[in-house]
Amino acid sequence: MEPSIVELKGITKTFQRGKEPIVVLDGLTLEIPTGSFEALMGPSGSGKSTLLNLIAGLDRPTQGSAVVAGANLVSMSDGELAKFRARHIGFIFQAYNLLPVLTAIENVELPLLLTNLSKTERRERAQTALRVVGLEERMKHYPRQLSGGQEQRVAIARAIVNDPTIIVADEPTGDLDRKAADDILNLLERLNKEFKKTILMVTHDPHAAERAGVTRKLDKGQLQ
Amino acid sequence: MIPVSYNLRNLTVRKTTTAAVALGLGLVVFVFASVLMLSNGIKKTMGRSASPDVAVVLRKGATAELESVIEEPSINLVLNDKELPLPATGPRGIAELVVVILLDKVGAPGLSNATVRGVADGSLAFRPNIKIIAGRAAQSGSDEVTVGKAIRGRFKGLDLDQTFELKKNRPVKVVGIFEDAGSSYESEVWADLNLVRASFRREGVVSVIRARVEPSKFDGYKASIESNRQLNMQVLKEAEYYDKQSEGTSTFIAAMGIMIAVFFSVGAMLGAMITMHAAVANRQREIGTLRALGFSKASILFSFLIESIMLALLGGVLGAGASLAMGMVNFSMVNFASWSEISFRFEPTPGIIAGGIIFATVMGLFGGLFPAIRASRVSPIDAMRS
Ligand SMILES: Nc1ncnc2c1ncn2[C@@H]1O[C@H](COP(=O)(O)OP(=O)(O)O)[C@@H](O)[C@H]1O
Ligand SMILES: [Mg+2]
Repeated sequence: MEPSIVELKGITKTFQRGKEPIVVLDGLTLEIPTGSFEALMGPSGSGKSTLLNLIAGLDRPTQGSAVVAGANLVSMSDGELAKFRARHIGFIFQAYNLLPVLTAIENVELPLLLTNLSKTERRERAQTALRVVGLEERMKHYPRQLSGGQEQRVAIARAIVNDPTIIVADEPTGDLDRKAADDILNLLERLNKEFKKTILMVTHDPHAAERAGVTRKLDKGQLQ
Repeated sequence: MIPVSYNLRNLTVRKTTTAAVALGLGLVVFVFASVLMLSNGIKKTMGRSASPDVAVVLRKGATAELESVIEEPSINLVLNDKELPLPATGPRGIAELVVVILLDKVGAPGLSNATVRGVADGSLAFRPNIKIIAGRAAQSGSDEVTVGKAIRGRFKGLDLDQTFELKKNRPVKVVGIFEDAGSSYESEVWADLNLVRASFRREGVVSVIRARVEPSKFDGYKASIESNRQLNMQVLKEAEYYDKQSEGTSTFIAAMGIMIAVFFSVGAMLGAMITMHAAVANRQREIGTLRALGFSKASILFSFLIESIMLALLGGVLGAGASLAMGMVNFSMVNFASWSEISFRFEPTPGIIAGGIIFATVMGLFGGLFPAIRASRVSPIDAMRS
């Protein structure tokens, strides 16, 4: 059995809405083994994104312990969390989140600007990542010149360019049609099988969840 | 670091607002730089009249040639002082009478003041830099005058071969035009000393004596003249005299201009602030994405400051460039020291241009500060929201 890459114990997350505290995660425990491809499902508003954000180091739990890639996220400062994300997390967003004024390759190169790589090394790596997602010949294109599916593939190239420990994807096919969604899911499957990437994907599409090795359901602040 | 091209392209994407804000900032820099150039031009124009080896002798207490009265017998005492060395060439000194007359302006209604210098034989020889560029020198003892090229043609009758009335029923004829590298002499009329005396009932007096003194002997000469109680005179280096003449006017103009520029800069900075604020609001998700990817708060702050400063620099370059074009313009205005018309130019210096660019940068910095701080506070979770 591989060691766990995500270890959450007794995680509680409450948000303050006005005077009312709302408990989104309620004493949740989760272990994700290295190299797995897991889907996280659940009704809208059940806290899937909240959980993903905690694992990705975007937010801190109200209570509980969170160790991801060997780092204790609970005790880290904002700056340390930013470094943690740069080093360990590859992000894939529902709305792709490419910077519109940058070309595909410039978008992919962004995470590498936080490393010590030289300009040529950065270009080479970004180009390799674009080759993996099959968009090498579109590297000079701006996001508006690409289809939604192509934009998401560029975003995936950006997520893998840094060789992250874990890839988190929040509804990565939510804005795509069936055909483009399948392309993205094939790509994620390939990243998991061929490149041994650990992937955690939030989705409410059962079709997408089928592709993952494990599907977890979140409801009432707990994993079923 | 977030690449600068990211900011540059964002400025190009919203090119209309970028242009409008840059124009506003540019206008402020233009006012700032032009006014300092004018102030500098006034100083330079006056300073150009000065030679390092000339002492100016005035009545004690007089602040300008025009206010000073020196009796004829004093001239010899001043110019034959034992501390005054004999010059290698040219006259030892000259005594001149300065008055102001009212003349009809050309191309504008109304009258304006012009300075008239009553000169004796040695005046041109004493100032070897002055050149007659049209016509000839005036004959001494005649009713011929010469006119500086800066006021030539600015008043009725003040051009070559024309005549005008020095005083009622005292017509004089312009026989020559002179130039002096842009000095204030170029804004004067030079007439015969005795003619000026007779026309203005100033027989037996002059306004000012200039003496040739090499700088090393100046202090001794000054002490000798000023210690003579009967003479009751003051001695200044010529450069010092002209500095005092231009000081008030140039400082006033510089102060006015800087005040106006600072006043307008508040508006320009607000403009920069508003566009940068809008940019931050529009790019909320982009900022969140950058934060999620691991860029620090500081790098976001820095990036938006850079963007604001680049915007301001664009305005600064526009404004400074436009102010350089003012260098082509001749500017005529009243010199407050003599209340007569004097012609100035906008004199640029690298310091003034650099000052304008720095001014723009500071406006960009202050205008961009609050939006940049707001940008740095955008939460990375915002990147996840759709
Ligand atoms: N920053 C926040 N402040 C207050 N409430 C929040 C915040 N983020 C999420 N929530 C609430 O937490 C609950 C779970 O949200 P989310 O994790 O986005 O759900 P899901 O992704 O499963 O649809 C929702 O009720 C949402 O309104
Ligand atoms: Mg969600």
